[in-house]
Amino acid sequence: MSGAAWVIATDTKYLVSMVTAGAALGAAPTVVAVGPRDLAEAAAESGAGQVVWLEPTAGTPAEAYGPAVAALVTAAGPRLLLASSAAAARTLLGAAAAALGAATVSGAIAVEASGDKVAVKCSRLGGAVVETFEAAGPVAAVCQGYDAPAPGGAAPIESADLGQPAALTIADEHPAPGGGGLTEAERVVGFGRGIKVRADMAMVEELAAALNAAVGCTMPVADDYKWMDQYIGRSGLSIAPKLYLALGIQGSPQHTQGIRDVKVVAAINTDPEAPIFRRATYGIVADLYEVVPEILAALKS
Amino acid sequence: MKVVALYKWARDPEAATVRAGGVVDWGNAKMVAGDDDHAVIEVAKTLAEGGELVGLTLGDGDAAWAVARGVDVAYSVADAPYLADEATTAAIMAAAVKHIGGVDVVVIGDAEQQHPAVPGLLAGLLGWPALSAVGSASADGAKVTVERKVVGNIQTVSAGTPVVLGVAAAGEEAKPPGMMQMLQARKKPVTTLSLADLGVAADQGVTSAGTALPELEGAKMLEGSPAEVAAALVAALRSDGVL
Ligand SMILES: Cc1cc2nc3c(=O)[nH]c(=O)nc-3n(C[C@H](O)[C@H](O)[C@H](O)COP(=O)(O)OP(=O)(O)OC[C@H]3O[C@@H](n4cnc5c(N)ncnc54)[C@H](O)[C@@H]3O)c2cc1C
Repeated sequence: MSGAAWVIATDTKYLVSMVTAGAALGAAPTVVAVGPRDLAEAAAESGAGQVVWLEPTAGTPAEAYGPAVAALVTAAGPRLLLASSAAAARTLLGAAAAALGAATVSGAIAVEASGDKVAVKCSRLGGAVVETFEAAGPVAAVCQGYDAPAPGGAAPIESADLGQPAALTIADEHPAPGGGGLTEAERVVGFGRGIKVRADMAMVEELAAALNAAVGCTMPVADDYKWMDQYIGRSGLSIAPKLYLALGIQGSPQHTQGIRDVKVVAAINTDPEAPIFRRATYGIVADLYEVVPEILAALKS
Repeated sequence: MKVVALYKWARDPEAATVRAGGVVDWGNAKMVAGDDDHAVIEVAKTLAEGGELVGLTLGDGDAAWAVARGVDVAYSVADAPYLADEATTAAIMAAAVKHIGGVDVVVIGDAEQQHPAVPGLLAGLLGWPALSAVGSASADGAKVTVERKVVGNIQTVSAGTPVVLGVAAAGEEAKPPGMMQMLQARKKPVTTLSLADLGVAADQGVTSAGTALPELEGAKMLEGSPAEVAAALVAALRSDGVL
């Protein structure tokens, strides 16, 4: 079996961190890039040893190339296959892992060679524990990651045959309704049901203005209360600001999925057990109605 | 179309208790409906109109849950355990889908949070294509048209059959069935399959070397009066360069 890991990428999400993790097996990983030329070039600079590039025909989603990706992977027979949780990437990972007969785990945060086994460390139960899985045979993993700067360099890019794509056609594609600047904002103040009445949103907005931040909320605030049009989370928007200040937000896994790529999360919640504190960089157990005015005062000094 | 809706094939992570040192205790947690499962049934029902809607659950998942929501025929692989190796879970599902036979579409929860590889693996093992992050779908002759959200875009994709659809729910179930529907559903027969019937084993390709608490455990907690914590927070955010 070839020692090197293979990474399947349909966008640049966590690409460098996956290549770095895969290198733990001793050789620079091969990246299978299914997407535009830009993606193949980003892969070439990610620290990969080589890039195998499949350029989808216009109007064909990446998932249609499952058979081609599976054939490439089985021909090489890697010990380890990695992909991000992006919809197309993990679907292709499934196609390749099934063909390879690889065991498959999710939430991978690190990989180690351990004797003749591969050990994959996975974040489980919404981040509450890390479980280590060992595989004697081939193993595939959906990765959690982080966006790291590319180390540079230029691995060779080799175009691969598209094979016989599956019958999938993109009939239409248009941008989802805008997020009111939330997805581009450098700072976001998010609030949940800890804000008691609609009039109190004025306080949140005042704080956001002082921080030069956009305002976001949890799903019940938008869907049940109808105070906002858009919300943050799995079924709403994914945001990646430098700062996310979470006010009266429980921190459900559905919500925190939308803030995975935030750099610094600060949370204020009256409940010391609130799961948001697991994702937060800074936590304050207090009544947000007492603390927010003091933050406004502190910002002025 | 003949549509299989897969539901209740995993445990609820919230049912697990994390003990000292990161030891996980699942108690006697059962297979429960995942966040996406109610949307799975909705999508499957739409596609199966005029055809057949088959429900499939694993382990001790309760089939009445799906029957009460409109499933015509219920199957359960009753001795399928909850597994960390998603490839083995998918292999059990694939064997059951083959056993049911003549299936055009398998609809399953996208499960991005917990078991994100299962829909793709299931498709790979069946030799079918798959689409994930599906919000809604409609049938159009032998084709299905799905709408899904991918990286900020709304995409409409048309797919031939057979195909696996990974459905992501947009929220909680609007109107769960009532007590009466549940009671009636319990009277409907469930066809129980065993791993032996399907000719698959629950062998996993990974072994757990144990669990531990994450290294970066939680937030740096700021303590003091409201004025003190506010000042400390602003100072910390300034020094991190995020203000
Ligand atoms: C399929 C599915 C998809 C979903 N998708 C999303 C999604 O995309 N985004 C999303 O946000 N949710 C989503 N949800 C809902 C999610 O599960 C939670 O129910 C929701 O995020 C909780 O919102 P919350 O934190 O505002 O409310 P709550 O859970 O009610 O929490 C309020 C918090 O405020 C705290 N609090 C109360 N008063 C104060 C005070 N005075 N000062 C400080 N703290 C206070 C409380 O301690 C509590 O922690 C989804 C659910 C499902 C089933």
